[in-house]
Amino acid sequence: MSLKKFGENDVILNTMKTHPHSEFFIFDGTVHYNNVPGQSGAFSDRVLNIPPGHVSLYELNIDKGDANLFSYPFITKQSSGAAFATVSATSYSNAFVFGDIMTSSYPMSASITRELMVTAGQREVGVDSNTGDTFEAAPTYPHFYALKNRLNFYGTLSEHYKVSSSYGDKALQTVNLLSIPSIFYGQGIRPGSMSLKWYCTGSMIGELQDVKRNGELIQVGPVGSPGSGSVAGVVMYDEGFVLLTGSWALNQASLLLVKDSGTPVSPSWVYWGAGAIDGVTVSTTGASYLSASSQLSFQGINEIQVMTMFAHAKRGEVNYSNNPTFLEYGQTAIAQTSSLIYEENTSRRIYNTVSSSYPDWRAPFKRQVYVSRVAVYDESRNLIGLATLSNPVLKEEDEDLSLKLRLDI
Amino acid sequence: MAITSYEILDTTSDVTTTRTLLHESIPLTGTIISGTYGVFPSEENIKNYTHGQFQSVYDYPYLSSSANHIFDLAVGFDESSNMSKSAGAGPTGSGQQAKKINMYNQFSQVLLGYTGSNNTVRMFELDLSLDESGSIAKEAVFVNLSRLISKDQIKKGSFSITVGYGTWSAPFGAKRVLTDASASDNGGTTNTFGGDYGVLFDTSSNPRGLVFYEAGIVMLSTNSFANDSGLTPQFYAHPTYGNLNIIGTFLTSSISGACDAVRHRIENIAFNNTTEINSTIYFCRVPHNKYNHSANPTYLSASTIRVKNVNTDSPIAYITTIGLYSASNDLLAVAKVSEPLRKDPTNEMTLRVRLDY
Repeated sequence: MSLKKFGENDVILNTMKTHPHSEFFIFDGTVHYNNVPGQSGAFSDRVLNIPPGHVSLYELNIDKGDANLFSYPFITKQSSGAAFATVSATSYSNAFVFGDIMTSSYPMSASITRELMVTAGQREVGVDSNTGDTFEAAPTYPHFYALKNRLNFYGTLSEHYKVSSSYGDKALQTVNLLSIPSIFYGQGIRPGSMSLKWYCTGSMIGELQDVKRNGELIQVGPVGSPGSGSVAGVVMYDEGFVLLTGSWALNQASLLLVKDSGTPVSPSWVYWGAGAIDGVTVSTTGASYLSASSQLSFQGINEIQVMTMFAHAKRGEVNYSNNPTFLEYGQTAIAQTSSLIYEENTSRRIYNTVSSSYPDWRAPFKRQVYVSRVAVYDESRNLIGLATLSNPVLKEEDEDLSLKLRLDI
Repeated sequence: MAITSYEILDTTSDVTTTRTLLHESIPLTGTIISGTYGVFPSEENIKNYTHGQFQSVYDYPYLSSSANHIFDLAVGFDESSNMSKSAGAGPTGSGQQAKKINMYNQFSQVLLGYTGSNNTVRMFELDLSLDESGSIAKEAVFVNLSRLISKDQIKKGSFSITVGYGTWSAPFGAKRVLTDASASDNGGTTNTFGGDYGVLFDTSSNPRGLVFYEAGIVMLSTNSFANDSGLTPQFYAHPTYGNLNIIGTFLTSSISGACDAVRHRIENIAFNNTTEINSTIYFCRVPHNKYNHSANPTYLSASTIRVKNVNTDSPIAYITTIGLYSASNDLLAVAKVSEPLRKDPTNEMTLRVRLDY
């Protein structure tokens, strides 16, 4: 088989940037994702077997209930040392011997989560058992401490990022932290696309947008609302976190929005998203919680590397097929053969595939093939890719044909 | 920031490759194959095509975005089968005879190839010898498992299928379990065009089908569904011609009709799949007298090292990131440690960086 080599201009590498849109609506302790309604099946109330507002990683185990066996992954402990991320190094060494099977489970799911951090920099109080002295122990909100360096790093974009700045000290403030898993956005959140809306009894009482595209979440509406134009928080585009510190009352209402508190509070940005997998439900708060609802929308950034290859079939080339039906049926393949000679029949005829417009009449013979596939080989002539056309393309002897192959990586 | 020194990896001692086999247990119950999502044979999770060459089975109504393609079903027979010379109960040509022959030849051509002597397409043999003798399956049912569930290959020795050969109204009143228990990574298989294949035996060790592991295709001989007399009189309740046995079904029904009959008789399919994960492991060795300093701007404060209290203290650095560079010093990959590792002149460490692909 002869191979054609790609020329200098025949292979192009590009990056395609996509922006997947995500929208979350939070109400009554439930998160709704992209307005997807719950889907019930024959065996399960939820066919994906995941809570509302979540995405399923592999979407296996569709419509399975308690009576069904579920698909699950497993690894046999072997010398390569591979294990599931949930198996710790200690457990891997001590709990399993070689040949043991480590199992995991499907479905795996993810959703946004909210964490209300009252005095975000607070630490537990430890007591020295010898002296009885107290000391500052582990952070009450370790997620805040984990983000401090990164917040200060983004301080060059905006002073509002900094943990401690002229706008206050986040460690002493109430911080509303929203975590967005990367499965919803890809490589990052698209600057300028984020919108947070606060609804009270169905009316929008505040909207934040990152209109300056520098991470500052500025209250842009409704027009004339309390705090309009103020910065209520920041968004960390690459990491998928939103930190809200705006504590001004957005209206005069008094709602139960804090879990197990019993004390009504005014709707403000630090209470935005109450119910986003944070334990806040009507039973842990009170009936007035049902007056609150929140909406989050943003676009992600997902880059896809695209390789475009042009495969040229020039006139006079690629006009023969190795398909057995390319030749007329019933011809002698071998002219002569013996212990000394093997000679193929050199005058075998090609089957005439030229389409005729008339019945019972064959159009004059023309040499032509139908191209159905393009194979891509590496330098060592290993087959590394195969492109199949949806319909075979006619290639006549006096025609040039260029096929465009696209490979998304 | 600029890198001023690199630690060169010795490809003989610092780089190694491994392969991990990740498996999934895949149980497919017969309830999703037949009768759950609508009235048989027009269930919403079964897709028939105008070309009529095969039937697709989904795990949920296929118009839903939640549905996954599970497998395709087709039937066929060799041109030397008695069926290809017979007429069925219906009008001539109703049974898609030519398509069934093409289907059989297509599968056998792709999976088995051609015989060496006559250069004809092989027939499926219910053994591992490929010698054109013994038990030959001239009529077959093909279960073409989706790559979504078969992944790189079916794990050898893990496949089982339960089929019923009872009456049409009670198909599982008599049933048999077919397994490839005699196949393993160490033997019990034969390698051919379509990759390795093993034989499916019933509990009495009668061969009744084949499973092609890499291709993810199962071939069931019609004797998988045969009762002791060799036929199942009520194999299919044909909507027009009434109860048909296996031969009658293959002769008279369209491919999709025969597939309906087969679906009605699959109680369970279970197997483990395999995904090969190849890894390269780079052992990044950090000697005691190197990497005790950081180029991070915050490492210094007023031209003094932050983590030193007095000038006689040893320098300390915290390793957070490992960069892997090409021979031309292009950054190719970055590895992060879960927590910074303290490095000072009193300790050495080897960081194991694994790259999966």
